[in-house]
Amino acid sequence: MHRYSSNETVDAVVIGTGAGGAPLLARLAEAGLKVVALEAGKHWNPKADFATDEREQSKLFWRFERLSAGEDPVHFGRNNSGIGVGGSTLHYTAYTPRPLPNGFHLYAEFGVGINWPIDYYNLEPYFDELENFLGISGPSPYPWGPPRKSKYPLPPLPLNAPAQLMQRGCEKMGIKTSPAANAALSASYYQENVGWRKACTNRGFCQAGCSTGAKASMDVTYIPLAVHFGAEIRPDCFATEFERSSQGNITAVVYKKNGQEEKQLCKNVFLCAGAVETPRLLLMNNMANSSGQVGKNFMANVGLQVWGEFEEEVRPNKGIPGALISEDMRRPKNVDFASGYLLQSIGVMPVTYASQLARAGGFWGEELRKKLRAFNHVAGINMHGECLPNENNYLELSNELDEMGLPKPRIYFTAGENEKKMSAHGDKIMREIWSEAGAENLMSYQRKAHTIGTCRMGSSGDTAVVDSAGRSFDVANLYICDNSVFPSTLAVNPALTIMALSLRTADLFLSQKS
Amino acid sequence: MEQYYTAGTVMALLQTDYVTPITKQVLEERMAYAGGDPLFFDAPAFEVLSIVCDLLVAQDSQNRSVNIASFIDQRLKENTSDGWRYNNMPPDKEMYVNGLKGIDETSILLFKVPFIQLSKDQQLELLKSLQKGTAEGAVWKEMPSKRFFEELLAEVTEIFYSHPSVQEEMGYVGMADAKGWTRIGLNERDGIEPEALPYNETIKRNAPLFK
Repeated sequence: MHRYSSNETVDAVVIGTGAGGAPLLARLAEAGLKVVALEAGKHWNPKADFATDEREQSKLFWRFERLSAGEDPVHFGRNNSGIGVGGSTLHYTAYTPRPLPNGFHLYAEFGVGINWPIDYYNLEPYFDELENFLGISGPSPYPWGPPRKSKYPLPPLPLNAPAQLMQRGCEKMGIKTSPAANAALSASYYQENVGWRKACTNRGFCQAGCSTGAKASMDVTYIPLAVHFGAEIRPDCFATEFERSSQGNITAVVYKKNGQEEKQLCKNVFLCAGAVETPRLLLMNNMANSSGQVGKNFMANVGLQVWGEFEEEVRPNKGIPGALISEDMRRPKNVDFASGYLLQSIGVMPVTYASQLARAGGFWGEELRKKLRAFNHVAGINMHGECLPNENNYLELSNELDEMGLPKPRIYFTAGENEKKMSAHGDKIMREIWSEAGAENLMSYQRKAHTIGTCRMGSSGDTAVVDSAGRSFDVANLYICDNSVFPSTLAVNPALTIMALSLRTADLFLSQKS
Repeated sequence: MEQYYTAGTVMALLQTDYVTPITKQVLEERMAYAGGDPLFFDAPAFEVLSIVCDLLVAQDSQNRSVNIASFIDQRLKENTSDGWRYNNMPPDKEMYVNGLKGIDETSILLFKVPFIQLSKDQQLELLKSLQKGTAEGAVWKEMPSKRFFEELLAEVTEIFYSHPSVQEEMGYVGMADAKGWTRIGLNERDGIEPEALPYNETIKRNAPLFK
């Protein structure tokens, strides 16, 4: 790997190596730019370092404490925030559904939420490119959304037992289902300048780190590509401050490595640390916030899960967890809420399930033991829905310091009427599906998925933090690219859209430079 | 839908090449960890915590599968976090110290004796009142007992069900990760996955560990 001197002024420092940082890092490096990525966590070797054990793998989760406030406090850590080269893609479930065109114009359609300053067709070429590069396994043609210009490069992954059960329930209810699109390989796959990755072995531990390289996390895709083109990856480097010129431009990024302060001189910064760390870093440095929007409109997808117990053996730890999807509820009829949601079958790992029984079910003692003796007969369905922006949901800096000596973020979240109605609708539908499929002892787990918003993109610096290219309205050489720039959540799992924004931001940056 | 499985499957699997070296190492280290004298808690608090942990997962204190309290003690000593906490709850160390104090306080208010001197039924009753949020005592005026119970239960459950000997009870062998799975559909079982014991065995074993 190429190494740059900290005294050399590199073209760009990228903060964060997840779905926002990694694709643009590779793109900038490919264009011949000198780029350095700072990553707060370690650079793992999955084969040697990743055990098939949830407790051990908690090392992939962001564990600097966050304070969770509001009426529906969000559970951070395992659920939604990663650390290490690859960021949260190290533990994402590999869902890669595309957003629908109407998702970008929510206000136009419903008079609530907000329109994005870009649309589906701005991102479409990047979806095509990403699906091909990552080796997405999925059905072609895809049953929902506008016609695709390209097919998924690999056929779908096999349906596991939870998927078969959801299929059975949905069939009886007349709900259309399909094998889902997943960023895990259904066959060996070759990427130029990266090499071969082997097919998924159905180990089922996507959310605790893939040890085989079958899942397209950034550490086995865009990071090696970036390194191939000359990028430098610096793990264990926690960005804390920016040095700025008298005009306000960033001249260096200051970071901590093993407790020592270091800095890297640079011409541009791409801040890709996610919807909590990105606004936190900006607020700590009191910058890029003339709009007052940094930290505002924190959102989390509606993510209710319904578990059921079946007579048949399920063994839900095997196979890609989200093997089956239905997008029939993207715009459900006769409802009193805006937008809609996806339905996804879910498998589960034992500790995750046990923890849900404890927190959501309140099960303990003999009852808990009994519930877990049914583990091999359990299957779940997950709804994944839109969350509207709301200015009362926000992130601020608390007075409490973490082990880095930095203020812990406090995040307020209270679900709005729209989310509550949508969640109740999904709960009813999922319970019907499971009942039709033969489930007993249903349990709903109120869950919020992903961290989104807090540095919204928009067309005016009065109301948004970045423009549609991801560039700060206030600091000319600062770009933000991660889930924080989303004006609304969309109904889909965000990873694919973050990656598409990342490539687009890089291309717009490069075209403006040349 | 509960099922029972023959004992010994996970232990046997760990001796084979169905388990990758890193997974084997992690699980064997965990099984070898017996705990010892507390490093964070004082002895009386640790004794209360140990009993509470066992009750929360219906584990026989005289014959523990997992020394849950020691894992909690170790984490607090190392000062690690799971990445978040409820804003209306104090930091983890304080939460545990206060919560255990609160349990004794409630015990004395209700039964006139400290928690460790209560009968098992009384201990269970007290824990239920924490979960319901009806427990009396000064501590719970400052810190909602419901949230304390939830946080405690979540950590205890995660520790307990991370232990291979407990996972074995569920018929779970997902740690056999070296070769992956080929039979993943409904009612499909790969060769190394244990079969559930017949239904009458399940009934026979289904007596509670204690009342």
